[in-house]
This record gives sequence, C-alpha cells and structure tokens, in this order.
Amino acid sequence: MSTTRPLVRPDAGAVRRPQRRPYGRTSRRSPLRQLGKGVLVALLLVFTLFPVYWMLNSSLDAQAGHTNSFWPAEPTLEHYVFVLTEGGFGTFLRNSLLVALGTVLVSSALALLASVAVARFRFRMRTQILMLVLVVQMVPLEALVIPLFVQVRDLQLLETLIGLVVVYVALALPFGIWMLRGFVAAVPVELEEAAYLDGASWGRMFWSVLLPLVAPGLVATSIFSFITAWNEFIFAMTMLGGATENYTVAIGLRSFFGVHSNDWGAIMAASTIITVPVMIFFILVQRRLASGLTAGAVKA
Amino acid sequence: MTQQVTTQLTEKLPRLSRARAATVRPWLLLAPALAVLAVLLLWPLVRVFLFSLQDYGLREITTGEPNWIGVENYAQILATPELWTVVLPNTFGFAVLSVAGTVVLGTGVAVLLASLGTFWRTVTSSAIMAAWAMPAVTGTYVWVWIFDADRGVFNDALMSLGLLDDPTNWFTNRWTFYAIVLLNVIHHGFPFVAVTVLAGLLGVPKEMLEAAEMDGAGSFRRFFSIIVPQLRQVFAVVIILSTIWDFKVFAQVFLMPGGAGSNRSVLNLGVWSYVESFGQNRYGFGSAIAVLLTLLLLVVTAVYVRTVLAEEER
Amino acid sequence: MTRAMRRPLVAATGAVLLAATTAACAGGSGDETEGDGTLSVWIMQGTNPDAKTFFDDVSAAFEEQTGATLDVEFVEWADAHDRFVTSIAGGTTPDVAETGTTWTPEFADAGALAPLDEYVDGAGVTEDLVEGLVEAGTYDEQLYGMPWYAGVRSLVYNTEMFEQAGVEPPTTWAELEEAAAGLKEEFPDKIAVAVPGDAEFTVYPWVWGAGGEVATLDGDTWTSGLDSPESQEGIEFWTGLATEGGYSSEGATTWRETDVLDAFAAGDVGMAVMGSWTPGAIVDANKDMEGKFAAVPIPGQDGGIAPSVLGGSHLSMFETAEDKDLAFEFIEMMTTGEFAQQWGEQSGYFPGQVSLLDETLASTDPLVAPFAEQFVDGGASVPAAPTYGAVQAKLTTSTMMQSILSGEADVATASEAAAEEMTNVLNGSE
Repeated sequence: MSTTRPLVRPDAGAVRRPQRRPYGRTSRRSPLRQLGKGVLVALLLVFTLFPVYWMLNSSLDAQAGHTNSFWPAEPTLEHYVFVLTEGGFGTFLRNSLLVALGTVLVSSALALLASVAVARFRFRMRTQILMLVLVVQMVPLEALVIPLFVQVRDLQLLETLIGLVVVYVALALPFGIWMLRGFVAAVPVELEEAAYLDGASWGRMFWSVLLPLVAPGLVATSIFSFITAWNEFIFAMTMLGGATENYTVAIGLRSFFGVHSNDWGAIMAASTIITVPVMIFFILVQRRLASGLTAGAVKA
Repeated sequence: MTQQVTTQLTEKLPRLSRARAATVRPWLLLAPALAVLAVLLLWPLVRVFLFSLQDYGLREITTGEPNWIGVENYAQILATPELWTVVLPNTFGFAVLSVAGTVVLGTGVAVLLASLGTFWRTVTSSAIMAAWAMPAVTGTYVWVWIFDADRGVFNDALMSLGLLDDPTNWFTNRWTFYAIVLLNVIHHGFPFVAVTVLAGLLGVPKEMLEAAEMDGAGSFRRFFSIIVPQLRQVFAVVIILSTIWDFKVFAQVFLMPGGAGSNRSVLNLGVWSYVESFGQNRYGFGSAIAVLLTLLLLVVTAVYVRTVLAEEER
Repeated sequence: MTRAMRRPLVAATGAVLLAATTAACAGGSGDETEGDGTLSVWIMQGTNPDAKTFFDDVSAAFEEQTGATLDVEFVEWADAHDRFVTSIAGGTTPDVAETGTTWTPEFADAGALAPLDEYVDGAGVTEDLVEGLVEAGTYDEQLYGMPWYAGVRSLVYNTEMFEQAGVEPPTTWAELEEAAAGLKEEFPDKIAVAVPGDAEFTVYPWVWGAGGEVATLDGDTWTSGLDSPESQEGIEFWTGLATEGGYSSEGATTWRETDVLDAFAAGDVGMAVMGSWTPGAIVDANKDMEGKFAAVPIPGQDGGIAPSVLGGSHLSMFETAEDKDLAFEFIEMMTTGEFAQQWGEQSGYFPGQVSLLDETLASTDPLVAPFAEQFVDGGASVPAAPTYGAVQAKLTTSTMMQSILSGEADVATASEAAAEEMTNVLNGSE
C-alpha cells in the first residue's frame, strides 16, 4: 500500500503517523450505536443511489414510461442501441471527450506554470495577482455568456469544439491555479535547492523535481477541469448553436429530449451512457480527489 | 504550511543572472494564464457592463454599433415587481437553502464516514462518488422522470400507498418545483463537501478529542468546540464554493418542465437573464441582470476573500 | 499502481491528450465559410417522418442539377427560435433555412434575410404562390420568405375509444364536453381530451371560436384581446375541460405539442388539437394506430368551425449565403414541382403553390379532407408583427395556460396578465 502513495502527500503525515491518531472510529461500540449507524448508512445509500438505480432500471426496461417496476419488466438493450445509432450519442461522446481532454491539457499546463510563479516567487504585485485569481473565481461565468459569445464569435470560433475548449479553459483555470498553488507550496524548497547545488538548471529542476512531486495535484485539477467540461451546459448551448455534429453530451441530451420527450427508456439510456464513464472514473480516483482537495483548496 | 514555503528562493541563490531571471521568470510563467484571464474573463466582464448600458439588440450585436441608453435597463429591472417577489427570492432563498443543505448533509456524512470501518466507508464513499459524477443535465432529467406527473415513480408510489388520490404535477407549483431543484442540487453537491470535510476530519488529532471526552464533553460539544474550529478553513472553502455554485444554478432550473420561462414563478436571475437576452433579443437588458448577479455574488464572497487573504499574509 | 508505473502513465496520458487535442482541432475547425459548391440548409425536424430519405433524393437531384452538394441540418421546433437568433447574432447562419411563418418578419427585421422578389419574378412563379403565406413572408413590402408549405390544426380523435365509449365526434362545445365525459367514464385511466399547457396554437381556436381576438392592430399600435370577455369565455371552456372536468391529465400542464403527439400515438388520448401533419407521425411512432383515428374541424361554440392557426413554413435565404443564385436554385427546387408535391404528400402539409394546393384540397382521404376543410373555411393567422416571434419566445400564452391549469391563477387574472405582456412585447415597448 505504502508504495502507492506519492512521495509528498500533504495530508500524509496527519493520516499515517500512528501516535497522532486521527478523529475517527471510537472505541465505544454499543449495539444501539451500531444500529443507528446502520440506519443512517442505509438512508444515505438510498438517497445517493436511488436516482442512479432508477436511471439504470428505466434504461434497461422496454416498458419504461408505461409501467413502473423496480426491476426491468421487459429487459432490453434496445434503448441503448437506439440512442447510440439514431440518437447520435456516439458523436456526442466523442465531442465531449475531445473537448474535455483539450480543456484538461491546456488548463493544467497554464495553471501549473502560474501556480509555480505565485507559490515559488516573491515579486511585486504577487498579492494583487493572487487576489485577482480569487476574485475571478467568484465571478459567475454564466453571467458572462453574452460577452463571451460575442468574444468567441469575434475569434471566429462559434460552433466549433475549439471555441468551447477556449471558454472551458477560462472556466477551469482560476480554480486550477488556486489548487495547484497549494501543491507547489508543499514541495520542500530544500529539494529544489539540492537540485541547484547539483548544477541543474531551473528548467531541469522544474521537470525532474517539481513536476513529479506535484503530479497528484495535477491529477486532482485535471479531474476538476474534466468534469467542468463534461458537464457544462449553458455555453455549449449558446455557442454550438445549430452545429449538431459538434454537440457535446450535455446539449446532445437536451436536444434528444426535445424530440423524444416521452421516451423515458431512451432518455435514461442516454443519461446512463453520459454518466457511467465519469462515474467509474470518479470511483477509481476518489482517493486522489480527496487528497487533492485538502491539499490544494483547503490547506491554502 | 504557507509560512514554511514563502522562503525566498532568490535569496539563497547568489548569482546575479539567477536573481535577474527570478524577477522575469514569474511573469513569464504567469503570462499565458494572465492572457487567458484577461481576454476571456476581464474583458468580457467589462463588456457585459458596457452592454448593460445599451439597448443592445440583435442589430447591435451583429453590427457592433453602440446604442447607449444609460442606466435605463437597470431602472427597468429594479422597477419590475417580479424582481422582488419572484426572481431575487428564488435566487437568494434557493442559494441559502441549498448551501445550508449541502454543507449540513455533507458534514454529517463526513462525520458518519469517519466513524465507519474500512469496508463500509469504501462502499458509502463510492456511492457518494456516483452521485457526484452524475452530470447536472443528466441528474435533472432523472429527477424530472422520477417526479413526472403521469408516469413518474414518485406519484405512483404515493398513490399506491394511498397518500395521494390523483397524480399531482409537482413542477407547476413554485415551492414543489424548487424542492425538486433543491433535491437535485444537494444530491449533486453534498459529495464535494463530504469528501473535503472528511479529509479534514481525518487530520484532527484524536488526543484532543479524547481529552475533551475525559473532561465530560458530549459528542455535540466535541464536534462544535474542537472539530469546527480546527476545520474553520475547510468550512470556509466548502461554504464559499457551494455559494458560488448554487447562486448561478441554471441548467437544473432551465431544463425542468416550465423552467425555461413559461412558469414565471420559478425564474431566477440566471434563467431570467438568458431568456431576456437569447429569447427576447434584449442583450442589454439581459446583461444588466447578469451584472446584478455578479455584483450579488461578489458582495457575498468579498468577505471570504478578505478573510483568506488576511490569514495568508499574516 | 506502483510508483514505478506512474511516470510512463503520465507520459502516456500526455500523448493521448495531445493526440486528442490535435484531433479536436481537426474535428472542430469551423467550416462555416464553405462557399465553393456546398449549400448549408436548416430544416425543421418532425415535419416529415421520412425527411432523411426525402433529402437524400433532393441532394442527389440538386447535385446533378448544379454540381453543388447539400448540407442539410435538422433543427427542432422547440429550440429553433433561440438557435436562429443565436446564429444571426453570431453570424453563423446557414445559406437557406426553413423559417416558421411567424419568424420570417422578425429575422428580416434583424437584417438577416435576403429579399427574394427578384428571384421569384425571375422564376415566374409569383402568381402561383398561396396568398396567406406570401403575406406572412412579406416585410417592408419585400418578400423574405418563399412559401413552402402550410398546415392547420384540427381535432384528432381516437376512433376505437370513441366507438367503445359510444360517443360521436363533436360539432359544438357542448357536444365536445359530453364526448369527453363519455370517454372519461369508459376510460378513467386515459386522457379524454389533452389540454397541453405549453402549446399556444392549441389555445387560439377556442379564443377565436368564442369570438375573441389574440391581438388587433389599430394604426401602428397592437392591442392583445386575450382578456376580452369573449376570449376569456373560450379560455375558460378549454382549460375548464382540464380543471373542472378532469378530462385532461396533470402532466399535460407542462406538455408541449410533441408530448400530446407521443401520448396520442401511444393510444392514451381520446381527442386532441393536432396538426394536419401529425397522422403520418402517429403511425410512424406506433404502427398499431393505423386506421384507428380520424379528424374533424375544430367545432365552433354553437356549431360551425372555430378558426385555427394557419401555420406554415417559408424557405428563406440568409444574407450570409455566398452564392445567392445557387441558394435560390435550391429554394425553387424545393417549393415548386415534383419535390414540393412529394413533401406535401409525405408530411401531410398543404403546399405553398396554388396549382398544387387545389389538388390536395380535392382529396377525400378521411385524414386529409377534414384538415382541408379547416384550412379553407377555418384558417386564421397570428398577429403579423415582426415582434410576434418575441411573444412566442416569451411563452406568454404558455405561461397563461400553465398558471390556469395548475390552479395558480384564475382565467381572468391570467388572461389579463398575458394580454398586458403580449401588448407590450408586440409594440416593442418591453
């Protein structure tokens, strides 16, 4: 297990060191307490999983929309076939994947460079820049739909995936800088100094010392950018306009709903197709995500 | 943690070229990010304000010609009775409720998770991840389907339990409409809080809690007098981020039946701005609403920014 | 995952990302400026269930005739207005598009459309165009919308349900209510008459049928008549079927016309106001419905026919079209001759040319004749203002309907609010 940990995980000390036992399981284990806990866990599971389960259930039931049953009354995969062929979700998935990956790549790169600047250097206006990043994070981008629409139009990027990537990078960047900054700051300066003493150039130090150490942070910010791009709705709706072939999953689903608003089986199948990849990905990276959040956003 | 790393790199490196490089380098590193922020955030921010001072319609947007009307849009917005009776309460009230709901539930779940064994903790946190991963658009349609008037499972269940005689359309009433939005937003939002707070909780030294327990403090006291102060920063972050996200909720309202403008009693600032601009071609008016939304959010969050920065620079 | 593995993984991820972005560039490169030999066209979805095959044929014929390729994009009605407006604002309009008759003046007013008079004269078809459609497509004394097809809504009913319940298709409002009551008794779990909340064109027949007006023009000022006593009586009757009679369904409060169609096709609805183009779509959605439904003109209050909106579409040419002659060649091909006739037959719409229309009107097909009767004797038009599109986008009538159907407001209050809003928007003062 221990080998799976990154070299420096900001919260590692707190969690691993045995003499500082963390808040957590109490030694008291009265049966009543256990029962109460069980009930709470059950309620929580129902609340979190019911929509997911109901989505899956309807998507697999040929009777969905006609009769409700708690398992598929007439199991079928026809809804999936329908949405992937006629529904065009194959294309939508591809588009979303391209947009999300493009966003991750560009925003992570920019955020990393910027976070190194603010975490490692003292320069005039540093505070102001930090303030700017924070304030910008507070601006509801949704309020900027109109000017951004005009902006992207002026760049001749309306109805293109690149246009969306450009906007999503702007959406993801402030949070990315803010989070990565925590990670960069947590890398011991001594390591860098050691690299310098060995005669390494700054660039080399960046690649061989800093980058590997902030990799977990990059993973966390990447997840955030990915999700931002995958889920985003209002910009995709306004900027892709009539370019159906460039629709992302979010507006692809809306446009599908517009035509098949009563075909709940198919709508749920489409929803599942959109959700499940992210879900699996999320469950796989949940440890990373948690450490990323605490290190970056919280321990700022 | 911050104090330890703010040690200046440049001081320790005597060579002149290094020092000079060190003054230029941060700016080089910052340049791409700043350029993006300037072009895609700051300039649009200025522009939305400029639009809001104009009668900006389709013609203006295609030709780019200005059409100044001063603060007329703002005057008109403020004079709209629905702003005060519908739009602001929907925006503000909903944000307060959903932030409270998200943070309380998320914290509760974090405390619960912390007390679970490895197996159940893994199971439960995986379930939470699944809720988190559900995109807003998908989630909204799933809730719409569950609450569908004629064929939704919710009405079905209520009727077979005898709690409801006839199907009810939950989307037409302002309160039930927002109750569903609230459910949707909390379902999507509490996992972030739970995961973040849990990570924070695991960092609280147990000795402090045991000491408090020996002093006879109950679990509520322990929670509020030890854990909450320890996690002040964590709470600040989750509250502020939830606030930002919940104030500007758009898709979760827009995609609900009646949410795109036909049910006026459920309009919020975001949807109102959208339907006025892209539906009515009143981009100036829509921009003015957007400016109000921005200001509202900035005021709410300004306090937080100051607290965080104050601590940072200490 | 071990530490040793992480590095290559990061590197690999990087490579994938890079490849993906490059692909994104290729996939996303805007091809809006195609001027050479491609004509981009937007067509509304759902008009013709067989639209794909139809346009494959058109593309082939068009390519043969002009050497240019067609790029047809299908757009949904529900989305279309916002999408047109957005593309006009963004300068990404297609070369030619199907525009709903109520939108043509609005887009012309925005300077987005190219006038067609010259081309139409050149083609020598000016005299053969259906007048109502020409009127709707004229703005500032110039023709911006080439009449393509028109449709009308009538009362469509499920013959099987009617027989089983022993009720007759209604000819007055009283009979309609009786029929609804009979249906409800026989089929308590079905919808006797669908009263959708988000479908303005299903509301106006009752307004007009009671002698009311949607809006009237006096000088250059519009006044909505939705709150007149007559209009209120009509709205009261129509919504009363749902709120008092319980003949509709709770869900219908937020239904659009497509939802009505789906439910009717599923055999869940006794009667509904539906378009002349829906019979094909109903059978397409559910083969079992074939031969199990019919139509009658919408009954007037005490007999006769209640007027219903003559809806339809134009083909409009956008100013952004680089090769306008090519664009008109396409318009002409679509709106005249063989393809126009074929489109009408497949979609159940009435063609926009007099010579073709006469043929359709003489039909005795039970799913065509009642609509033709409605078309000729009970056709009406929505206010011919360039601002009417804004009224539609504002969902003024839907708002009124939903608030009445959900019990949030009574007819008087809701119709007054709707009339006030409609008057303001029509006059551009809001």
